[in-house]
Amino acid sequence: MSTEQITAPGAPSPSGETAARPGPGTGVRADRRRSSLTTRRAFSFYAFAGPWVLGFLALTAFPLGYALWLSLTNSDGLSNNSHFVGLANYREVFTDPETLSSLARTGVFTAISVPLTLAAGLLLAVLVNQPIRARGLFRTLLYLPAVVPPVGAALTFKLIFDRDSGAANGFLDALHIDGVSWLMDPYARWVLITLTLWGAGNAMIVSLAGLQDVPKELYEAARIDGANTWQTFTRITLPLLSPVLFFQVVTGIIAAVQSFLPLLISLDPTPRGVSAVPEGNYLFMIHVFAQYFANGRYGYASAMLWVLFLIIVLITFLVFKLSRGAVFYAVDPEPDKPSRPRTLGGK
Amino acid sequence: MTVQNEWDKKALKAAEDALGMNLNVIIWDPTKLNAMLAAKNPPDVVRGFGATETPYFAARGLMTDLDPYFAKSSALKVSDLDPVNDVWRYDGKKQGAGPRYGMAKDYSQDSMFWYRTDLFEAAKLDAPSATEPISCDEWLDLGKKLVKRRLGKVKVYGLNATGMGVFPQLMGMTASAGGSLFAEDLATVDFSSPEALKALRWYLDYAKADIGPSVSNPNPDGWDGPTYQANRMAMSCNGYWFGGLIGGDPKLAAVSRFAPAPQLGSHRVSSCFGATGFWIPRDAKNKEASWKFFEWYFGGKPAQERAASGWGIPSLTSLRSKMPQTSAFQKQAFQVQEKELPHFSVLSFTPYAQQAALEGVLSKVLPAALKSGTSAGVVADTLNSRMNEQLAQGKELVG
Repeated sequence: MSTEQITAPGAPSPSGETAARPGPGTGVRADRRRSSLTTRRAFSFYAFAGPWVLGFLALTAFPLGYALWLSLTNSDGLSNNSHFVGLANYREVFTDPETLSSLARTGVFTAISVPLTLAAGLLLAVLVNQPIRARGLFRTLLYLPAVVPPVGAALTFKLIFDRDSGAANGFLDALHIDGVSWLMDPYARWVLITLTLWGAGNAMIVSLAGLQDVPKELYEAARIDGANTWQTFTRITLPLLSPVLFFQVVTGIIAAVQSFLPLLISLDPTPRGVSAVPEGNYLFMIHVFAQYFANGRYGYASAMLWVLFLIIVLITFLVFKLSRGAVFYAVDPEPDKPSRPRTLGGK
Repeated sequence: MTVQNEWDKKALKAAEDALGMNLNVIIWDPTKLNAMLAAKNPPDVVRGFGATETPYFAARGLMTDLDPYFAKSSALKVSDLDPVNDVWRYDGKKQGAGPRYGMAKDYSQDSMFWYRTDLFEAAKLDAPSATEPISCDEWLDLGKKLVKRRLGKVKVYGLNATGMGVFPQLMGMTASAGGSLFAEDLATVDFSSPEALKALRWYLDYAKADIGPSVSNPNPDGWDGPTYQANRMAMSCNGYWFGGLIGGDPKLAAVSRFAPAPQLGSHRVSSCFGATGFWIPRDAKNKEASWKFFEWYFGGKPAQERAASGWGIPSLTSLRSKMPQTSAFQKQAFQVQEKELPHFSVLSFTPYAQQAALEGVLSKVLPAALKSGTSAGVVADTLNSRMNEQLAQGKELVG
């Protein structure tokens, strides 16, 4: 063994003696090496994390901070005379009837569209999980609409539901039924919900992945115990799928409250086009867009976005709290905490 | 920054060859423009509506004063500019005076209207005069007689009364009744004045009659072109530029005629609500190149080709002779347009709000009023309150 060899303090030496405290020569060298290793590791960490940190600072932290500052001013983005107005914009958010009604409309839209999309995705996932011929083809076809970007899907819907030349009214014409103005009130909100369902392929794929993770032995045991299809679905499939469904509920709510689709299916997706969005589809984000770019109220619109951000945080927190007993985790997410025994179905 | 359809690859290459510079076309998008202006990184030239945008951008100091450029230019002379280019001027108080901030590529008097003789004949109605304007009430009456319905749905619109937006149309009607929608300082609107109320009442009657696109039933096509072409509109309120579309379809041209702007009162006013053209942002980085583009686009070959196309009246008086006058359709449109020109005037737009903001208020207030049958007086009060609130916010920023 060379004198260069390092022996850990307290560890038995090759000669059988316990190593004493490292001597001045070897200990310093070991410390240096350890320190050099730590430095190298730290350097690697910062080198790899650096781009993300820079991206976060430039593209997330700075815009958020700037928007927070804007929300405390009456800025229109273009004039030099904007000034600090304190919390006036936030007070207006909670007193402006139009803002509150658009928020309420967004809540209703979320309450309808999220469960519908979730149910449609789950239903499709269960169907394409069956051992049928050309299963791959069905999966692809059903997922295909979800691959289409929202703008493309909105344009397609605009064409399908166009009053004069759309396929929907063409179909009604063939049945000798008079066509309707689908993109106007009161039909526009149903077109919007249909457009949301158009993207159910995403929910299908996520649910399908969850379905394929359910152990087959559980189904076999249930069959032996005499469980029918519904019982198997509600007692095994749904509980084991609950974390996947929960994930979709959370992300679905966040996406729905930020929905911008109504403007995309309006006549003209510009500040002028905002005025063509029918009342029933005038969601919160459309109002934000109108305040920013039609009314030039950057300050007020920024305050609206901050309020929306806080609402999303609050809803997410509530959903997490309320779902505690309903979501079954195969692996306890909080293993260090004493937890009550969990059973299938969360009971 | 401009619209896409004018700048295909071939046109772009021709422009680059003619100008000896590279052009990077940013597709026109008001949202993107606002963002670029706010970031002080604007395009070198921007397409815009001179009539409604000039006061807003000029009051914020975002436009370049082009007077020094005109002064030294041999291609574009102020003496050759059609009066319509005054909509691109703003002196800090009113539109039509002060520095020139942009130039129109062409223009129209947008309250004039086109009509289809075949639909008039089918309804056994006399065609409108080519020289004397009809009253707005007669216009509405014609629309009611020309509309065709089936099972309660409109199959053929009798009339579209607003080609360039509801707000400018109400401005024009109020002016023809002898009033003004904006106060003299452009900081407030007054829909309650007798003239404005008359215009508002007319529009509510028009929308209630359900004879054409309105705030409560917009045209899904977004503009009149496809609807008019598909025999689904008898009268379309669009200026001379719309003849470019009609002239491209011989069958349509054979049954289409042009008429003077209807008047709500005795004041013969026939304004322009667009005067689409270009301006150079104050923070543009290549102003000399921008001006070179101006000279070529407004005074060179493209301007001559546009003048001959029928898509609008050229904005240089020297190009007026190039307007198409070959076919019977072109001759009729040209003659009606020539007789209308003396009645052109600049209606000042407010610097304190964008047109989209005011249209937004109209589209919120009017449909609800129509549904509930609210009286025009109450609607006027609501519009005054909501629009003036927005204008006050804008004024606070402009100072």
